[in-house]
Amino acid sequence: MRNSFLRVLLLALIISSLGILSIYSSTYQKEGAPWQDIYQRQILWVLIGLACFFIISQLNYRRLWDVNYFIYGAAIFFLLLVFALGIIRLGAQRWLRFAWFNFQPSEFAKLAVIIFMARYFSRKSVDDISLLSGKFGIFRGIILPFIFVAVPMLLIIEQPDLGSGLMLLLVFVSLLYLTNVRLKYIFTFIFILILPLPFFWHFLRDYQKQRLLVFLNPNIDPLGAGYTVIQSRIAIGSGGLFGRGWLSGTQSQLYFLPESHTDFIFATFSEQWGFLGSALLLLMYYLIIRQGFIIAQRTQDSFGRLLAYGISLLLALQVFINIAMNMGLAPVVGLPLPLMSYGGSSVLVTFIALGILVNIDRTRSVF
Amino acid sequence: MERKKILKFAIILMFGVLTAGLVNLDLLQGSKFRRLSDSNCIRLIAQSGARGNILDRNGDIIVDSKISYDVLILPQELSRIDHILGEVSRKSGISLNELKTAFQKNYFSSSIPVTIASNIELKKAIILGEYKLEEPGIIIQPRPLRHYPYGALASHVIGYVNEIDRWRLTKLEDYGYKTKDIVGFGGVEEKYDYYLRQEEGGLSVEVNHRGKFMRVLGFEPPRNGKDIQLSLDLRIQKIAEEYLSGRKGSIILMDPQSGEVLALANYPNFNPAVFVNKHTRLIAGLFNNPDSPLINRAISSSYPPASVFKVAVASAGLELKKINLSTSFLCRGYAMVGARKFSCWDVHGSQDIISAIAHSCDVFFYKTGLLLGAQNIHDYALKLGLGKSLGFELPYETGGFIPSPLWRKMDKFRKWFDGDTANLSIGQGDCLVTPLQAANMMAVFANAGYLPSPYIIKAVGGFDLSARKKKLSRVAFKKSTFEIIGRGLRAVVSDARGTGNVLSGLGVSVAGKTGTAEVSRGATHAWFVGFFPYDKPKYVICVFLENGGPGHAASVVARQVIEAMNKQGLI
Repeated sequence: MRNSFLRVLLLALIISSLGILSIYSSTYQKEGAPWQDIYQRQILWVLIGLACFFIISQLNYRRLWDVNYFIYGAAIFFLLLVFALGIIRLGAQRWLRFAWFNFQPSEFAKLAVIIFMARYFSRKSVDDISLLSGKFGIFRGIILPFIFVAVPMLLIIEQPDLGSGLMLLLVFVSLLYLTNVRLKYIFTFIFILILPLPFFWHFLRDYQKQRLLVFLNPNIDPLGAGYTVIQSRIAIGSGGLFGRGWLSGTQSQLYFLPESHTDFIFATFSEQWGFLGSALLLLMYYLIIRQGFIIAQRTQDSFGRLLAYGISLLLALQVFINIAMNMGLAPVVGLPLPLMSYGGSSVLVTFIALGILVNIDRTRSVF
Repeated sequence: MERKKILKFAIILMFGVLTAGLVNLDLLQGSKFRRLSDSNCIRLIAQSGARGNILDRNGDIIVDSKISYDVLILPQELSRIDHILGEVSRKSGISLNELKTAFQKNYFSSSIPVTIASNIELKKAIILGEYKLEEPGIIIQPRPLRHYPYGALASHVIGYVNEIDRWRLTKLEDYGYKTKDIVGFGGVEEKYDYYLRQEEGGLSVEVNHRGKFMRVLGFEPPRNGKDIQLSLDLRIQKIAEEYLSGRKGSIILMDPQSGEVLALANYPNFNPAVFVNKHTRLIAGLFNNPDSPLINRAISSSYPPASVFKVAVASAGLELKKINLSTSFLCRGYAMVGARKFSCWDVHGSQDIISAIAHSCDVFFYKTGLLLGAQNIHDYALKLGLGKSLGFELPYETGGFIPSPLWRKMDKFRKWFDGDTANLSIGQGDCLVTPLQAANMMAVFANAGYLPSPYIIKAVGGFDLSARKKKLSRVAFKKSTFEIIGRGLRAVVSDARGTGNVLSGLGVSVAGKTGTAEVSRGATHAWFVGFFPYDKPKYVICVFLENGGPGHAASVVARQVIEAMNKQGLI
């Protein structure tokens, strides 16, 4: 259906344009050459992303079935490479240096894991639409796939990037839920995960502990770990109903809000466009995710359906956690806001994922 | 499928939570966060206007303001601060240590500019102003300071300025006063602070997260306070202070036709400049001085009027027809009241009313007072403006006190004796008046029948208030009463044996009454209250010397003052 293609394309284009406007507004006053071309780089990434979107939406997604292990392997390979060659920025080793850009393999790994999961729980035959999971026991239904998810997850958490790691876990659990794995198993699994949490506390890095504590009460350290959340809440709240207007946000432009063009882009946007603009942005995200669910629902192929669900869930969870953390409703973790935040990998992977989504809907009618 | 629906519902719920969060932050708490956001990036740099000037009746300046310069910096990164302080020190010649101490002492938060040096010279201010081009974080701020060209002159009328105290702040908060505001204490500065007070203006500037100056958002020009014109005549005031100096007491000169106070001098006085320059030691000295130099003796302290009060007793006697021009009493140097002997200061022989006033014969007034009764004396004293506050415009005026039998009974549960009446008749006992009240009473005899409400504020902010002043109130005495007492007062000076004879032969005819007030400790208080020229009174004069000896001492000072005024052609 061309319909869903146009709809997704339009929404993604609007959101990423708003993202570019926000990035420009948050950086144009800052001195120094590296700040000045940030929005241009983002434009370039969005253009590349659009190109990928068009290409991927033309390629049959079922080829992913065949190359799935290769993708999964590549993701693990890049993640390992990060440890060996990755460059350190903001205290974390998350990026691989390429010719003129930095690549963040964890973004890529998120998509790879979703493809892997969809492949794992479905059959190749397009005629047999039933899922395998109904026949699986607890080992093949949960433990084995979890091992496959856990490898990239732990690699990402070790970077350290707790947010993206936990994102994988959340997507995994919700996909398990969708694949009709028995609830009993899922709850057991979650219980086993939660049980050693106090023990994991000791494995968290100091800054991660601090962020969690600060989430519970941002005022314990207003100038340190709590600073970002306080400033971000001020930025969002000061927007009021109509916002302060484009290029008039003082929080984001005068450096008060750290990471105003990446993880805290929502606060930057909200300061300038106010409640109305932010609510509209939320609506657009909701529409794009809803479109994903509609596509998943009308796809007969179990692989395609799971893939569509996985992609929509990934989007939904990232949007939710990022914006919630901007508002101080979730602890601060390093998660970008898809399509809005500055960052080539995130933009590229999101456009590719959307391309796959659109292709699933297009291919559906072929069968 | 059931699970899909639940998941879909979960997604909707997630977006619901986000929308609720937006509503909470933007709409419910929006104004609070807007305020926080503004306080993050907007700094106010206050600029104060000048406090209003205080002028004399001819428009000559008694107190004005001169500009001093303060150096402030916007606190930025600490490493830069050291550099900036170093530069400021090099350019201004102020030692780096001093600047650093001032910075540390005055640093309040990164959001407020810090004063690092105050009251620097104009030349240095200009040099630093040029440095500001390189370093926009520096602010050179002109600040008007109180300036007293005549030092201690009229200090009690003017008062002084200082940082607001806690007590005043609690009362004045609602009128826009803030901590650290400079307000007036005592005198016109205090009473008319609301008019004299400048309105603060200032600059609002935008800064970034490090307090670095970004741009100017707005400017509100400061407004100067209103000028206040006093009825004081600077020339007369100077004369009064010159001849009072060194003696505790006060001198008041007043226009009997209008009630305008032309000079109001007190000693010991103080130099208000010590409060501006913050000479802590000198200020402490003022407060600890047993002679209380901060007290405005002319209105804030009351003393026994002694013989000056006889004028009131005489008018009561004449009005109530207890005595007349032909009444005379024999003074043998004492009078018996009951079994007690009340002595006169001299043996006067036969005295009629004129000579009794001229010689200040106590016996005549004992007898007149006993004929009148204490209540009548009290009532007539009140008619002449004694015993209650005059509603004068300077703060801390006291009302003085005139005793009466009724008061004695109700307040002290004691009987009033004839001896008390005799004491009251010569202005002793519990009787207390302020020098201003004494002068005011004399004005009634100078203008023959009108009790003024003395005032000292002529105009506020160029608006003439004299039309709004309380009119002189008629004192309904007989014409003959004023005439007789006037003659008596003139005789005080003109009679060769009059107590104020020292004032004769001045080229200007003076009338008045001396007084020598007995006090429980120390020398007597000396009074001279009178008016001149006798034919057409232009001035009422009150000279009061605390523990200054006999009334003669006050008459001598009055002579010097009138002589000097005459020489300057002021009469």
